[in-house]
Amino acid sequence: MIAKLRELLGYRELIESLVVRDLKVRYKNSILGFLWSLVNPLLLMTVFTVVFTIMLPNVSIPKFPVFVLCALLPWNFFHTSVIGATNSIVQNGHLIKKVYFPREVLPIATVLSNLANFMLALPVLFLFIIIFRVPLTIWLLYLPLVMAVQLAFTIGIALILATVNVFYRDTGVIMEVLMQAWFFLTPVFYPVDILPEWRTLWGIALPIRRLTYILNPMASIIASYRSVLYGFTDGSPPAPPALDFFSRTIVTSLVFLVVGYVIFTRYSPRFGEEV
Amino acid sequence: MAIITVANVSKCFHLRPDRPRSFQELLVNSFKKRSRHIPEQEFWALRDVSFTVEPEETLGIIGPNGSGKSTCLKLLARIIQPTSGTIQVSGRVSALLELGAGFHPELTGRENLFLYGSVLGLKRQEMVRRFDEVVAFAELERFIDIPVKFYSSGMYVRLAFAAAINVNPDVLLVDEVLAVGDQSFQAKCFERIQELKARGVTIVFVSHSLDVVRSLCSRTLWLESGQLCEDGLTEAVVAHYVQHVHDKEEALARREAERTSQPDKGKPEKRVGIEGAELQQTGDTAFARASIPAREGEPALSPAAGKQAESPADPLAPYRKRWGTLEAEIVHVRFLDKEGRERLLLTTGEPMTVVIEYIAHRRIEAPAFGVAFHRSDGLHMHGTNTALAKFDIPFIEGHGEVRYSTDFLPLLEGTYYLSVAIHDTAEQQTYDYQDFYYKFGVRLGPVSQRFGTLYIPARWEHVPDPGKRVGEAEG
Repeated sequence: MIAKLRELLGYRELIESLVVRDLKVRYKNSILGFLWSLVNPLLLMTVFTVVFTIMLPNVSIPKFPVFVLCALLPWNFFHTSVIGATNSIVQNGHLIKKVYFPREVLPIATVLSNLANFMLALPVLFLFIIIFRVPLTIWLLYLPLVMAVQLAFTIGIALILATVNVFYRDTGVIMEVLMQAWFFLTPVFYPVDILPEWRTLWGIALPIRRLTYILNPMASIIASYRSVLYGFTDGSPPAPPALDFFSRTIVTSLVFLVVGYVIFTRYSPRFGEEV
Repeated sequence: MAIITVANVSKCFHLRPDRPRSFQELLVNSFKKRSRHIPEQEFWALRDVSFTVEPEETLGIIGPNGSGKSTCLKLLARIIQPTSGTIQVSGRVSALLELGAGFHPELTGRENLFLYGSVLGLKRQEMVRRFDEVVAFAELERFIDIPVKFYSSGMYVRLAFAAAINVNPDVLLVDEVLAVGDQSFQAKCFERIQELKARGVTIVFVSHSLDVVRSLCSRTLWLESGQLCEDGLTEAVVAHYVQHVHDKEEALARREAERTSQPDKGKPEKRVGIEGAELQQTGDTAFARASIPAREGEPALSPAAGKQAESPADPLAPYRKRWGTLEAEIVHVRFLDKEGRERLLLTTGEPMTVVIEYIAHRRIEAPAFGVAFHRSDGLHMHGTNTALAKFDIPFIEGHGEVRYSTDFLPLLEGTYYLSVAIHDTAEQQTYDYQDFYYKFGVRLGPVSQRFGTLYIPARWEHVPDPGKRVGEAEG
């Protein structure tokens, strides 16, 4: 395992090149290039703002565009990474079949290029933060840590799905649907406080809000982003995520990363014959 | 200390036709009855293969299709894993398994080169250092900054080869890739491989081109059905392999000849000329016809070509003709090799005998026997007859054989057709002329001559100072 990790480290230039390739291809064909990648989150932000401040005015969340954008951008990063990484092995079959390199390079590079994309979009978020006069606090220093946690979780999921897709080729299609469901189940465009603490379904009392956090690591991650970038829906300024809550998120993400890596390296020797 | 160690390696591919390839299939299958379960099949691409390669050695791997050559190379390149056994390769391995791998159509040649370099494990500075050289090698200086999607296929392949061969590996694995580009580019690639070899790069080379293996590799492995048949000096292994292949081809040609010889029965009636009618009255014909079926039982080529007129694989079938009075008939033709064994495949530069069996239905004075060789494209290679050779046959009557022998078959590799004839010395009267009747193959064997149409046995001499003679060589 240590040897494998060291080998992976030796291939960081390859990861770098693949990330650069990804970004170049993505932005090459249009002059507006990178601006196009902002269209999607900005459009969604506008739609949600219109829906929740004009069409449904009784849900009153201050500075709604910032509220939704600071969750939408991380979610987009997650979404594009997962979908991209799921296909990364199969799509690069021509490489897998002809050259040896640690196979995990491919999904990792996909995730990293989406991370780069995410970071390129951050200035726009800060622009909105400034426009809407959301206070910039010292807790912003948490941002890289939150991003690292999300990165670990995303790579873990990416490694698992990339592996599954080699053996079951419709994983990508299924994930498109599941990701949509996941998006709605994650408090991206609605605040988690809107959820009831308890809800009784078929006679069973369910702690809905707790379950959302426990079953959905993305909910915790998004909540952390919101906590350090936006603050809270009652108008209070940004604050660090609660320690116990955040450390649970870190542990969960690391577990996903390790499990994903183990699964991936267990099956990757067979990729050469399966793709 | 060996640079490559392969110990008892086996590779089994599991062929599972009914393994679900998607969740959809998985779901559908779980509802279906397990009635038509197709059992898993195993295919052993390699079985218990062991060998080592020393540093700076150039190893060739030869064998027929499906013998496990490419599997072996893929295992060495770590693209697939062995089912059992161990493989150790030390140093940087560059594998030329297929060209163009990893090229992205949207990126320029320059960007792709850097990407490809890093896929092959080359450091960026190293790539920068070698960049101009690689581009010059690919002859793409003018086009290096346009996206490769605009490249012609030739440009694409040149770039790929240049990229792959210039990564400065410790071990180079090459799978049948020298057949790219035009002649001069091929020569350049070949030269480059020679250069790497001279620089001490360990090379494992898989090829169907025995000439290339001969000129590059000092040692050669011969794989057959996944098993190591022979491991030794290239000359010996290649010679044994060639012998083996030719034995197999010979057996195949015989089987084919046997299959096609059936319908010769009754043909003489169709073929006879004007005189045929009266010929059939004679008692001798009955004897002649009786003798032909007797031959067909044999595993011989006999009127080998009997039904070749209908075989689509035979482009010269329309030329196949027979005419003559049939007062004397050629009933059988055999080719013998240097050991006097009957063969359908002969070897360039070796002795050959053509045995022409005839029946003369009456006494014929001063006949002449002729032979003519045509190449498969119809080119008349050679023709002669006993009269021209001043070889007198006073008369023929009944059964007999005429033999045409050479100590040195000058035909090069290919398929040839033999025409045989009996006529009178003045070539006025044709008794039996069988044009393009007997097909045979020639293989190169141990000689290295392979250009043109003929092997002219000759000698080279080099006289730098015409006063004294130095450096004679057979050629």
